[in-house]
Amino acid sequence: MTIIEVNNISKEFLQSNKKNKINKVLNNISFKIEDGEFVTIFGPNGCGKTTLLNIIAGIENPTFGEILINKQNPEFSKKGFVFQNYNESMLPWRTALGNIELALEIQNINNKKRKEIAQHFLNKVDLLKYKDNYFYELSGGMKQLVAICRAFAYNPEILLMDEPFSSLDYSTTRKMELELLKVWRETKKTTLFVSHDIDEAILLADKIIILSKRPAIIKEIIKIDLPRPRKLEMLSSKKFFEIRKKILRLFENEKQ
Amino acid sequence: MKNNKLYYVLIPLIILLSWTIISSLKLISPLFISSPSDVFFETINLFTIGKILVDIYHTLYRAFFGFILACLIGIPIGLIMGYYDKIYSSLEFVVEFFRSIPSTALFPLFLLFFGIGDESKIALTAWTASLVLIIHSMYGVHLGKKLRIKAAKTMNIRGAKLFQKIIFPEALPQIFGGMRVALSLSLVIVVVTEMFIGTNFGLGFRIINAQLVYKIPEMYSIIILTGIIGFLLNKSLLLIEKRIIHWTN
Repeated sequence: MTIIEVNNISKEFLQSNKKNKINKVLNNISFKIEDGEFVTIFGPNGCGKTTLLNIIAGIENPTFGEILINKQNPEFSKKGFVFQNYNESMLPWRTALGNIELALEIQNINNKKRKEIAQHFLNKVDLLKYKDNYFYELSGGMKQLVAICRAFAYNPEILLMDEPFSSLDYSTTRKMELELLKVWRETKKTTLFVSHDIDEAILLADKIIILSKRPAIIKEIIKIDLPRPRKLEMLSSKKFFEIRKKILRLFENEKQ
Repeated sequence: MKNNKLYYVLIPLIILLSWTIISSLKLISPLFISSPSDVFFETINLFTIGKILVDIYHTLYRAFFGFILACLIGIPIGLIMGYYDKIYSSLEFVVEFFRSIPSTALFPLFLLFFGIGDESKIALTAWTASLVLIIHSMYGVHLGKKLRIKAAKTMNIRGAKLFQKIIFPEALPQIFGGMRVALSLSLVIVVVTEMFIGTNFGLGFRIINAQLVYKIPEMYSIIILTGIIGFLLNKSLLLIEKRIIHWTN
């Protein structure tokens, strides 16, 4: 079943310094995402990946085109969002558990049930022993895992993640990706994940949507048929290299 | 650490020493300045008689009453002004203007409206302190991270819940800063208004009374006592603040 439908989306900004100069960011983007898929959006920095994600989230409006989530306007659907900047999107005055509970407090779920759900997700990413730690007491990677738990606990129709691991170091990032997949596997939430890290984009995804430089068009959508559950060894497998090569070749001919 | 404590008491000791020298050498007439020992014994005397406790009670009661009213009025207005741009634009001028009027200049007006009893003193205190709290709470919202609000909105947290769960705690460090300024100001306003009219109790009344009848050691004693009370109030609020606001730094 198709859950996200992106139909001919374009986004233009009026450049404020030059009169009537239109700055085109997204150019006629269309794709479909099936229920339960993990899709990554990969492209160069500044190509409009975040803009696209914001449009799907309903935070920004497209200039042309429409988005349908479960055949409805995105306004009416329940979306979980994980931001790049966990320090400014989470609540430092709450504990790890309290931060996850925030997503449940507005849904008329009682106190006991809330704690249960929040603990369940923390346990899933091996952070249960930090549940009573204040948010600022956690490391960067742990903070982002709590943010991810919050998004899953919210029980949304779709999950949107905007380069959540981009401020972490290489090995932490790889570890976090596996933790994310662990939670995802259990819930099978349709996830749209923006990344500028090619290894990350391949390791996580069922399919990768590859965007060009600005104004972004879809260069290609590549299905990743690596077996699940994904493992770090796969990063050095022959299959992985083939996919990587294919993607890199797409950018080779691009003019600078 | 030991060194720091030394610095902490060094300047007060120098001041006390100069005070002793000035008064014992009579560099300034005893009519204007009493000796530290006179002031010390006068203080002990005041407490043995005990009536000063009644004055302390009245001053604190008025200051706290006004301060708490100010919190209840000023903080919500400040938060709302901070969040809604339109309300901010329409109230900014009014708040800035009222804030520019020295509040003691309004005391005659408050006497007119609230009478010469406690009400006018408390009302003026509340007025002065709420203006401070409005400004601080407003900046608390302005300085908060916009992304936290955006993130909450993606989870459909809106309206009163947004204020309760995100905006208020986010502004709390600034609000506490405002509360400390407002509490000190409350004491100032109460002491000043007590010097005017309409009461036979209160530290301000006792200070002006002592001066009028040339009980100079008593005047100094109560001035210092008032200072100590203000200092302790500020320190206690700071202690509470440190327990509640644990997440900054």
